[in-house]
Amino acid sequence: MLIIENLTHVYANGVKALDEVNLTIPGGMYGLLGPNGAGKSTLMRTVATLQAPTSGHIRFGDIDVLKSPDQLRRTLGYLPQDFGVYPRVSAYDMLDHMAVLKGIADGKDRKAVVESLLNQVNLWDVRKKAIAGFSGGMRQRFGIAQALIGDPRLIIVDEPTAGLDPEERNRFLNLLAEIGENVVVILSTHIVEDVSDLCQAMAIICNGRIVKEGAPADLVRQLDGRIWKKVIDKTELEAAKDRYQVISTRLLGGRTVIHVLADQDPGAGFTPVEGGLEDVYFSTLSNTRRAA
Amino acid sequence: MFGKIAGFELRYQLKSPVFWVVAVIFFLLAFAITTVSNFSIGLGPSDHRNGPYALARACIVFSLFYMFVTTAFVSNVVVRDDETGFGPILRATRLTKFDYLYGRFTGALLAAAISFLVVPAAIWLGSHMPWVDSELLGPNRWDAYLFAYGVVALPTLLLTSTMFFALATVTRSMMWTYVGVIAFLVVWVVANIALNKPEFEHAVALWEPLGGSAYGLISKYWTVSERNTVVPPLDGVLLFNRVFVLALSAVFLVAAHFGFRLQSPELSGKARKARRRQKRAEAAAETAPATLAGPVLPRFDGRWAWAQLVARTRLDMGQVFKSPAYFVLLALGLFNAAGSLWFATDDTGYGGSIYPLTRMLLNPLIGSFTLIPVIISIYYAGELVWRERDRKTHEIIDSTPVADWAFVAPKVAAISLVLISTLLVSVLAAVISQAAHGYFGFEFDKYLLWYVAPMSVSLVLTAVLAVFLQVLSPHKFVGWGLMVLYIVAGMTFSNLGWEHRLYNYGGGGLVGPMVPTSDINRLGKFWIGAWWVRVYWSAFAAGLVVLAYALWRRGTETRLWPRLRRLPQRLTGKAGLTFSAAIVVFVACGAFIYVNTNVWNPYRTRIDNEKWQADYEKTLLRFENTPQPKIVAMKLDVDLYPHDPRIDTKGVYTLENRSGQTLKEIHVRFDRDLKVKGLSIEGARSKQTFDRFNYRIFAFDTPMKPGERRMMSFITERAQKGFRNRGDDTRVVDNGTFIDNTEIAPMLGMSRDGLLQDRAKRRKYGLPPERRMPKLGDIASRQFNGLRHDADFVSSDITVTTDADQTPIAPGYEVSNQVQGDRRTARFVTEAPILPYLSIQSARYAVARDRYKGVDLAIYYDPHHPWNIERMKTGMKASLDYYQANFSPYQFRQLRFQEFPGYADFAQSFANTIPWSENLFFIAKYDDPEKIDMVTYVGAHEIGHQWWAHQVIGADQQGGTMLSETFSQYSALMVMKRMYGEAQIRKFLKFELNSYLRARGGDPLEEQPLARVENQPYIHYRKGSLVMYRLQHEVGEDTVNRALRKLIADHAFKGAPYPTTLDFLAALRAEVPADKQGLITDLFEKITLYDLKTKTATTRKLADGRFETTLTIEAKKLYAQGRGQESAAPLDEVMDVGLFSMEPGKKGFAPDKVLAFERRRIKSGTQTLTFVTKAAPRNAGVDPYNFVIDRNGDDNVAKVQMR
Repeated sequence: MLIIENLTHVYANGVKALDEVNLTIPGGMYGLLGPNGAGKSTLMRTVATLQAPTSGHIRFGDIDVLKSPDQLRRTLGYLPQDFGVYPRVSAYDMLDHMAVLKGIADGKDRKAVVESLLNQVNLWDVRKKAIAGFSGGMRQRFGIAQALIGDPRLIIVDEPTAGLDPEERNRFLNLLAEIGENVVVILSTHIVEDVSDLCQAMAIICNGRIVKEGAPADLVRQLDGRIWKKVIDKTELEAAKDRYQVISTRLLGGRTVIHVLADQDPGAGFTPVEGGLEDVYFSTLSNTRRAA
Repeated sequence: MFGKIAGFELRYQLKSPVFWVVAVIFFLLAFAITTVSNFSIGLGPSDHRNGPYALARACIVFSLFYMFVTTAFVSNVVVRDDETGFGPILRATRLTKFDYLYGRFTGALLAAAISFLVVPAAIWLGSHMPWVDSELLGPNRWDAYLFAYGVVALPTLLLTSTMFFALATVTRSMMWTYVGVIAFLVVWVVANIALNKPEFEHAVALWEPLGGSAYGLISKYWTVSERNTVVPPLDGVLLFNRVFVLALSAVFLVAAHFGFRLQSPELSGKARKARRRQKRAEAAAETAPATLAGPVLPRFDGRWAWAQLVARTRLDMGQVFKSPAYFVLLALGLFNAAGSLWFATDDTGYGGSIYPLTRMLLNPLIGSFTLIPVIISIYYAGELVWRERDRKTHEIIDSTPVADWAFVAPKVAAISLVLISTLLVSVLAAVISQAAHGYFGFEFDKYLLWYVAPMSVSLVLTAVLAVFLQVLSPHKFVGWGLMVLYIVAGMTFSNLGWEHRLYNYGGGGLVGPMVPTSDINRLGKFWIGAWWVRVYWSAFAAGLVVLAYALWRRGTETRLWPRLRRLPQRLTGKAGLTFSAAIVVFVACGAFIYVNTNVWNPYRTRIDNEKWQADYEKTLLRFENTPQPKIVAMKLDVDLYPHDPRIDTKGVYTLENRSGQTLKEIHVRFDRDLKVKGLSIEGARSKQTFDRFNYRIFAFDTPMKPGERRMMSFITERAQKGFRNRGDDTRVVDNGTFIDNTEIAPMLGMSRDGLLQDRAKRRKYGLPPERRMPKLGDIASRQFNGLRHDADFVSSDITVTTDADQTPIAPGYEVSNQVQGDRRTARFVTEAPILPYLSIQSARYAVARDRYKGVDLAIYYDPHHPWNIERMKTGMKASLDYYQANFSPYQFRQLRFQEFPGYADFAQSFANTIPWSENLFFIAKYDDPEKIDMVTYVGAHEIGHQWWAHQVIGADQQGGTMLSETFSQYSALMVMKRMYGEAQIRKFLKFELNSYLRARGGDPLEEQPLARVENQPYIHYRKGSLVMYRLQHEVGEDTVNRALRKLIADHAFKGAPYPTTLDFLAALRAEVPADKQGLITDLFEKITLYDLKTKTATTRKLADGRFETTLTIEAKKLYAQGRGQESAAPLDEVMDVGLFSMEPGKKGFAPDKVLAFERRRIKSGTQTLTFVTKAAPRNAGVDPYNFVIDRNGDDNVAKVQMR
């Protein structure tokens, strides 16, 4: 269990990236959903011991993460949002190197681990190629492979599916899904489907604050009967935005489908729809922005 | 379109870091050569730092090094788009190849040309700096700047740009382009060496593409005033060369067009290789491995700690070793070192060579190669410390449980291993160069202990500092900049007189303390202080490593302040212990070093010493002419303790008042650091003591009457305890002590020895810029010889004790030699009178003995240097023969050469005792009989001094050294002529002529005619050889020797009044006929230059089958003033004219190639001479053997045209 208490981070330029964040993250897959710039990566990096927060506490099991980051690192698997590679180094060599760093000093053990991981993430055939030449999906699979070395109990994956094609994304999510139940996996993403496909619990972060927390199904249930949809012309959109709380718009066959949040039927041709996680996300963002 | 692309490219380049880094570096370099006297690019001491010559030299030197810069600019143009992946986008546009290629090239070339402007700008700015000596500056002349930049630099920049641009279009690789640069430089240097012969000079000047040779030919014999005022016109050789360079550039530009393929970059070498690699990788795919049976859990134990250290180090090293930059840097270093290694086997400039002993290779290596490891350590410290961030792997790596020390330590270890490997590569280069010279006496112990080990430590220290600064810095470039500042600061510190090794990181200098080396004495005790300093700074560096660990930038926090704040808590535990231990060692070593350098020994900077010298002169020079008694007999008891090192001396002088006046006081002067333990003078009492200058004035109780004799006795100690900051005693050493009596025994009265010489410094301390000698003919100074004012010829009795296993040597005959316990005692007594300048030596020698016509010959040498002993013996015999036959009998029954350690590079002639440096021809290699036998020459010269100094010595006034040095040169030349014939002498004289003409321009004083030489080596040695050789050629060897014999007869062993050059010239003039009197005036009393030229030589076959040859000769004679101003003088002299079937001086030239050789009258202007010979001549001309001083001796002889 990962417990985050009153975590605040203010950057040198005055930007408050995290604002009193409190989270309790149980074992299993946990989704952290938020738009770009919401503070997801700051939170992930802070938990991954890469930067010290301005204030607050983080505990993982009995490890005080901020006091003894090394203890956490020994059981951490981290896939950053954007990572590079050394030039002229092959996937095998790099993974082997990472395995040493992660405490697998025995050569035979390491060989077994590296080979099995390469196989698991389907990079066996290209293990001798330089990672610098990998495609985005291959690179992300390499990333998860290195995160999995040494059976970590806390795994953090930051925006892993951004930029992947659907097939690669599926392949990647499947890899994540194989990770055991008793491991804490934090999946930070701005893609709602990632969370709805995988996570038993989630939180939505916006402007550095946790604005919603719960199980996806529970959150969806809270919107039962409050989401309405209507197909309108593009020209009518501005008027609709003034009149209703529009939480999302999307194009369909050249016309615009809007979802609005309302406790009662707003009439005027709106029909009720069954809300999805996407509506939860957009309505939460919409509420937050209204409040701001 | 073209203009826009060029403009874009220019703006792009102006924004690139390369542009600014290069601009800053070259600005600093050019600024330094202008404003700091220690930096130089081959300027003479009186050349204006902003004069036309200095500007041109600066542009030549810097444009050579700029090759590396222009290549970066222009090859970037070609390589960039493929590296950034922007290429395909560009190729999709409608750009034409011409616009793309040349537009960009033009932009890059402009950027290079603009950045080179910092060189003239820095010189201009430097000339306005207040601290630069005003005598080193002239007016800033725009035409000189324009010439240097426009004529010298720009065409060269254009050529190197186009050449390597063309190469880059073909190779499409930065690395291979740089390999091309290296290859070009290698070819260029090798060609320069191979063609460095007078006969190729003109051709090289025409075709050498960098232009240095053309300018060099024009300015070769320029005097100071020419160097400071002449901007040569753009014509002749220079114009041809520059036009040739422009044409060559155009060729390369066209070649670039053909070499460049806009459309098909995939076929480039890199892509092909990548594809091949990929194929291989695919082929290697095996069957997939089995999945893991169970989880493999990490174990964080000691073994893991070691494994991560190894893994990180290996990765870091791989990143260095596999990077192209490393290859380029290493190649550059080796290129540079190869040149120095090549030249290291040249002897001192007479075309000979020496054995490539390890010791002789190490200094060139240190000088030329170590800059590269320094650059490597600075560059890669930045690259490695910032690599994770630059490659964006830091988040992955930093979140692993790797300890922080496992980041810092491997980076330091990796750079250190890289540095050590580069040192080993340089050793390999040296070993290869030894083998290439056919020398296989490899001394790997010396390579290791004298070079690799000390250099490694010093370089690792640099690397640690660079890593530490990178850890502190917010950006890689800041860290690099700090290191550049550190290096500049290091140089500045020593100029400001802050030289203590305790505060100059690493001990000062780029590579720490340097230690004098010798095959005889090996490292002596010098290494001890150097290693204390290394340990001291290593402890400091260990502390820096701990701090670098504690401040390591981990994760995404890059600011320094938060890292500094948690520093205290990071310095607990093992880190703190290590840090404390480092500090303890640092402080302890520091204390010990301080005791050595400042308590046991005086700490003196160069500036302290200069100030001391200036004060010494200001305080005491007023006593220079205070009359003093003279020493007539010396008795010395000298106890040598070579290892300590220490010399205890007890001595007694017999003094005689020869001044003609009654003396009230006596002045006693000791070497600055000599400890005076006792001093008593018969009938005198101490009156005043100048402790700082070790100078004492005693008053006589009863004044000393003329002719009266008194005794004086003294006890001194010369010793060094521990080590000094700089300047450990190299005179008294474990094996190879060589000291003279002025270093251990007193002198009387004040003298000019040891005064500050440098004109700029003298002005700085408020002294007159120069102290000139008494004029020729001065009466007062005839009382004194040039060696010592406080004595004439004396008798000596010296007892030396030393270690039992050493051989002590001093002038005089050894009358006893006993061993008692571990001490040896030997006594040396003179029979004939000698000059009171005595050498005392002691070492473990091998001895070669011989006896020749009643003289005992002995050579005391180091067993490592046996090569030239027989040659020395032969030379001794030949010298004795010639001198006794032509001058006078040898005054001694023994003649000895003694080798001494190479802490100095001279041979010196004491009475029957000639110390000779191990560096000077002891190690010369004579496998080519064509080479000049410098061993015999040096030996004959020094033996000549047994006559010319030890029999006849000149008065201490103008011309004095002509009577000793010039006559010894003449003596040696005559011996050489007997042994090897005229041809080899002519070869020798060619070197003498060249060095005389070159040195004229650099004389800070003013050039004097030979008879008035003021101890100017280029005159009394170099010009002296030329003058005396021509003299004996014109008036006959016997005539010259008769005059010399007259001088000996009148003055040998006589003491005051001493002879002057006037005495010799009078003797000479009495011997030569009337028509040669003018010649004597020209040779000795004037500075005379000739310009002889055979304009045309044609021949035709006569009816009788013989050949009639007509020569058109132009001739000119000039008289020069001391500062180089010349005026024409009428020429009307008889000179040699020769017709040859082969060019004189060429290999294979022999007397049978001379078809006609006659003396003909030559007058100023153009004249025609006609000869009839049996065979057809091929070459003909006036003064074919270069007897006269002619700045262009190569046009004396011309090829004969058949008509």
